[in-house]
Amino acid sequence: MKTLQDYSEDIYKCSKCGICLAACPVYEETGNEATLSRGFFTLLHGALNNKIPMNKLAKYLDYCTTCKACFDFCPSGISAEEIILAARSYFYEQGDVSAIKKSIVKIFNSTLMLKGLGASAGMYRALQGPFWMEQLGGLSSQLNLISNIVNGQTQEYIKYKPLLRVCDKKEINAVYFPGCINNYFNASVKNAAVMVCEKNGIDLHIKSGFACCGIPARSIGDVQSFINLAKHNIDQINLEKIDYLITDCATCGIVWDTYPEYLEGEYREKALLLAQKSINIYKFLTQFDIFMPNNIENNKIVTYHDPCHLKRGQKVNKEPREFLSAIPGIEFEEMKDSDRCCGASGLYFLAKSNISQSISKRKAENILNTNASIITTSCPSCKIGLSQGLSLYNKNLPVYQPVELLANNYLHSEGS
Amino acid sequence: MTVPNSISIEEVISELKLVLDKKNILTEYEERFCYAYDATAIGDELYLPDVVVLPENTEQVAQIMKIANKYKVPVITRGAGTNLCGGCITLKNGIVIHTSKLNKILSIDKENLTCVVEAGAVVEKLQQEVEELGLFYPPDPSNLKVSTIGGSVALSSSGPRCFKYGGTKDYVLGLEVVTAKGEIINVGGNTVKNVTGYNLSQLFVGSEGTLGIVTKVTLKLVPLPESKQVMLVFFDSIDDAAMAVTDIISHKITPSTLDLMDQKTMDTVEQFHPTGLPTHYDAALVIEVDGIADTISVQAKQIEEICYKNNSKDVRIAKDKKEADEIWFARRSAFGAVARMKPNVITEDAVVPRDKIPQMVKAIRKIAEKYNLTVCTMGHAGDGNLHPNFSLDLRDHDEHERLEKAVEELFDAAIELGGTLSGEHGIGMSKARFMNKVASEEVLEYMRLIKNSFDPNNILNPGKILIK
Repeated sequence: MKTLQDYSEDIYKCSKCGICLAACPVYEETGNEATLSRGFFTLLHGALNNKIPMNKLAKYLDYCTTCKACFDFCPSGISAEEIILAARSYFYEQGDVSAIKKSIVKIFNSTLMLKGLGASAGMYRALQGPFWMEQLGGLSSQLNLISNIVNGQTQEYIKYKPLLRVCDKKEINAVYFPGCINNYFNASVKNAAVMVCEKNGIDLHIKSGFACCGIPARSIGDVQSFINLAKHNIDQINLEKIDYLITDCATCGIVWDTYPEYLEGEYREKALLLAQKSINIYKFLTQFDIFMPNNIENNKIVTYHDPCHLKRGQKVNKEPREFLSAIPGIEFEEMKDSDRCCGASGLYFLAKSNISQSISKRKAENILNTNASIITTSCPSCKIGLSQGLSLYNKNLPVYQPVELLANNYLHSEGS
Repeated sequence: MTVPNSISIEEVISELKLVLDKKNILTEYEERFCYAYDATAIGDELYLPDVVVLPENTEQVAQIMKIANKYKVPVITRGAGTNLCGGCITLKNGIVIHTSKLNKILSIDKENLTCVVEAGAVVEKLQQEVEELGLFYPPDPSNLKVSTIGGSVALSSSGPRCFKYGGTKDYVLGLEVVTAKGEIINVGGNTVKNVTGYNLSQLFVGSEGTLGIVTKVTLKLVPLPESKQVMLVFFDSIDDAAMAVTDIISHKITPSTLDLMDQKTMDTVEQFHPTGLPTHYDAALVIEVDGIADTISVQAKQIEEICYKNNSKDVRIAKDKKEADEIWFARRSAFGAVARMKPNVITEDAVVPRDKIPQMVKAIRKIAEKYNLTVCTMGHAGDGNLHPNFSLDLRDHDEHERLEKAVEELFDAAIELGGTLSGEHGIGMSKARFMNKVASEEVLEYMRLIKNSFDPNNILNPGKILIK
């Protein structure tokens, strides 16, 4: 794992050409150079050369949503995200992380606590929370925003039902990594993924022992917890029997790709192997001739938002569109700037709510300029950003994953 | 001209607080540190502004200027900070006015082919918007994705297309300017023809924020050309490339772009962004023609013949958009490729009469060799404007010193060939000390008189263009 010091040449290499100004969604809102990559590199270079105390920089680096957009543009090829994460781990070691962030991350680091929180999500559903929350949402726009985010994360659109296979069982060892949302809060996407796979002859192996992928810990710089979670997750997998490691969460996917950088020895070898097996569900499914039921009468216009960690992180952007467009009854319409950050970025929407909301609003504007009545994406965090932006325009359009739409069609075609 | 003491800057800030929202006043050391630099490689020097302000309208700019004038605090206006002459460096501290929140495109007049934009509007955004209406704003500085119209006006910037279409100065019809005293004045107008007294708008164009603060710009637009055709032409010698350029123009063809890349440039581009560029040719021309489809296909053929007649070894005419994009990608990634060789890049901007290009390129190579520096030369052959990009590490003080010497010799060479210091990057702080090489004492004195009448307290971007 590279430390901040290891990046000092990269930091110095920034020619300050300013091209990142065009890419940065945060700078678009703040207009402040201290909140974008060129400024970060200027500051970090200053700190590494003792012109600024390093401990003053955390609050500026916190502005970054780690959307990777500037990396695509950077003529010098500097990865702001990597450097910022290295800086955050330095700040974490120095104790420069807020207690609130630490305690939220603690929940993700502990399967037990996640289970507890997940149980309360179940309770919330059982007590008709979504209904009451909606009523509450009617009272003010702020409550409506909270209601939409909470309900979006907890309401189970697709409930699992065994479906009839349309083909012979395929000899594929596919392990499914569900991620925290699927595991504890809302299994809709997992249900849909499993059903779509089963229908097409692919059995997904779902390990019960998986913990959080570790991104919340890594994003606040808690590298040790990240490494512990990485090892734990790797230990759950039988390396002899795996062809694919499937994720539907953009972030979980990219994290499996980065495990090797943080590990050493045998774990690193295993992580490298698993990084090769790791595949996003749409990239996985579009390899096959997926069954499409022809039972849908009314056409729905659907648009798609590219999660940063999927398009820029895993170079997967054509596949979800291809998958969506193949579903009968769906007309796909592209939105403008579909790969611009949605503003949610993990805990960012809580930590920097004003900026997050402004970024989400721009995203929502682009969505509302299409004729779409359903929004899709492939990341639970983006789902928050999209719901947030739409709520700020008082639009409560549903946000799903493409697999949920197909699973829903399957359910209808089997008459349930 | 620095602020006399720390008490007065606090007074300045407390007065600024009466004018601006708190979030638009940046006073933290770290924030100001980020504004101590622009795209110019200045090494370890630190020129820290006292405060950075993000005004949201012209009135606020006028109020800020009134406060600055009252306390005689320097004011430096900054757009995207992409200039290469240290134009935004706060040599004497003071207030940075950052135009990031003055970025609106106010109106586009399709009937009269004009538009009005705020100073912080981004060039590419304007181009996209007018192109949707079938109109065209040609000036294309290389950082157009971020660079602002205000910055373009301040430095009268241009780009590859300016051979045919001219630079920013040819598109400015009128300006709204905040003066050193804090008045809001409107100069020029919104008509292409306008002969009413001194042409003050043109005086502000290229004045690098030393005469006033441009807040709004009325620009001329032209109809969008129906189509374009780009080609990449290789030569074994730079002389042949230069002859081909002259020959193309003497055949009454006006390409929109006649850009040049030398062997080292192609080699470097291929090293970092491989697109299959051959690396053994001495020079390549990127030629683009635009206009009516039938005409340009004839012109492309003519250019091909002319190039072969002038000993071109290979002419690649883009067959489709993909190939066209590849050619432009290679040309546009040249700077970035140089930036990947070593940590710093110094881009110079000498300009010579067009027919002196080969001599100038050879002079650049000789100087680089003499001082043991790595240089990639690219530029706009049609305009005689060359950009030698020196790749180096400024932490190596010996290399830095050698560069300083090389740059001065480079300017001397350009001047000897009948050229000058800068074609499109401006003078700023980097070249101010060379002004007496190209301007007589009388000329400099007239420039000082102009500066003094607009800015008697020398608070507008002090230390730039003219050294007192």
